[in-house]
Amino acid sequence: MTPAPRPDERGGAEPPDVPGFRTWWGVYLFVFGWFVLVIVLLTVFTVVFS
Amino acid sequence: MNVADWAVLLGTLVGIAAYGVWRTRHVRSLTTYLRGDAAIGWGTIGLSVMATQASAVTFLSIPGQGFESGIGFVQNYFGLPLALIIVCAVFLPMYRRLNVFTAYQFLGQRFDDKTRLLGAGLFLVQRGLAAGVTIYAPAIIISTVLGWRVDLVVVFTGLLVLAYTVAGGSEAVALTHRWQVAVIWAGMATAVIVLLLRLPPDLGLNGAAHVAGALGKLRAVDFSLDPSRRYTVWTGVFGGLFLSLSYFGTDQSQVQRYIAGPSLRNSRLGLMFNAVLKIPMQFVILVLGAFLFVFYQFVPPPVFFNQAEWRRHAEDGRFRAIEAEYAGALAQSQSAIRGWLEARGTDDAAREASARAAMVSANDRAHAIRAEAKSALVAVDPRAKTKDSDYVFITFILTQLPHGAVGLLLAVMFSAALSSTASELAALGTTTTIDVWRHLRPLATTDEARNVRVARRFTLLWGAVAVGFALFAGFAENLIEAINILGSIFYGVLLGLFLVAFFLRWVGGTAVFLAAFIAQALVIAMYFSLSIGYLWYNLIGCAACIGLSLALQAILPSRAPVAGSGRT
Repeated sequence: MTPAPRPDERGGAEPPDVPGFRTWWGVYLFVFGWFVLVIVLLTVFTVVFS
Repeated sequence: MNVADWAVLLGTLVGIAAYGVWRTRHVRSLTTYLRGDAAIGWGTIGLSVMATQASAVTFLSIPGQGFESGIGFVQNYFGLPLALIIVCAVFLPMYRRLNVFTAYQFLGQRFDDKTRLLGAGLFLVQRGLAAGVTIYAPAIIISTVLGWRVDLVVVFTGLLVLAYTVAGGSEAVALTHRWQVAVIWAGMATAVIVLLLRLPPDLGLNGAAHVAGALGKLRAVDFSLDPSRRYTVWTGVFGGLFLSLSYFGTDQSQVQRYIAGPSLRNSRLGLMFNAVLKIPMQFVILVLGAFLFVFYQFVPPPVFFNQAEWRRHAEDGRFRAIEAEYAGALAQSQSAIRGWLEARGTDDAAREASARAAMVSANDRAHAIRAEAKSALVAVDPRAKTKDSDYVFITFILTQLPHGAVGLLLAVMFSAALSSTASELAALGTTTTIDVWRHLRPLATTDEARNVRVARRFTLLWGAVAVGFALFAGFAENLIEAINILGSIFYGVLLGLFLVAFFLRWVGGTAVFLAAFIAQALVIAMYFSLSIGYLWYNLIGCAACIGLSLALQAILPSRAPVAGSGRT
């Protein structure tokens, strides 16, 4: 029932093809940085409006 | 509701469902039926993942949470971006490399058939019940406020979602998700704009934010280490991480959304799209609730938002007295708010502090009267439904939005219900077909039409189960928490199974199978005997499953190196 592995994914090194990012770890780092920024902004928001 | 509202509501819902049926009328292959269009873009994957997670309770209950308890619930989503990064880096490449239809096929390859069936079984029980809640949640609220029959709303929702999910499978689900998300965003933007326009002109956006903040509604983060607090940064990051990792990594309703598509890249970008947008989106919905709280300081609301429940019991003079007392308290609160805003404009810190204390005190009094109203309801009828926060946003929609927009917002609620239910039913049908049915009667290798028929029947069967559960079962009052609690009880152990599979290569099927069973029993026993934040059960279930797997593997007879059964 399970078809054979997809040829394009055997290597697992498919580039993200996103401007500014050469590897997926760069994309993950960006998303993590965005997450940290959001937490910081929410903390500032809490302080300003409480 | 008038003709314009009905036209918008029915036109939107039936139009999207018909589009899904029409676009997938040529689906004949099981792979397309279960996995969707092979050329699907990352944007559609991202929207489909988003639409699957955001059910109607997201848009009915969460503004109510913001109104009642403030925006601290946003912390619940803090673990989500981290979980999606892990799913992209670890889970997704494995699923795509093995080219599986379900996440539980991976368990079969890594361990054995009984562990695969256990994983599939945990998913089917949890998601099968949750699908009933997903249909029931908007039905009970909308039918209550509009005086519709709840059973008819449940059946209408069920039939509509089954029409395109059974007909077109996963491809129809993804295609309709795009339009349903568009309707949801358009509707919520309309509600936000109307709310901002309805705020008193002298208050403004900044004034409203400061009033909400001063009254404790805008505390987004809480760094407290008190384990009894339900929403803190720590429960959000750690408990939320495990909940999200379980949901996105092991729940077939999500796995099916992102393993679709032509490449690993598209799947990853679809998930990263959600990692970036989810917290801001939930924040906006919660702030909408906090601003509704401010709005209702100036436009007197009913003392109890579930007016149908209130009118059913509130017949004697005591209830009239509560209503009058609440009206007086709101007038005082409004006056105190204006006094504080005026004091803020001066440089007199003592005056500002005094005005602030008066405002908080007046608000506490109004809050106490609302609590008294709920106590009065229980005194008359101990079984009365006393949680009314789910009715806050729908009350605003029905009383403040212009005609046409009311229909659009109701379409938002139903679209959200349909989108998440469709993913659930497609996933339940797929898991039953691939992970259960195959063991009883293998699928034909050449007769694709028969294979698709089998998958359609299982999807239909789960639809009937969900509708039946929605029709005949009673649910917890807070609907979004009911779903999250249900998920937290089962997801931790399921995640433990997958983490052992990925990272503890020396642990075998028998050890992890027994460990999962014991861990699940432990979590259920703890849930009924302890009082801790429910997100912790994700962590506990997962840790128990992993720890017991290691212990059992150490005492069980040694096994051959991991090869798995090879069956998928």
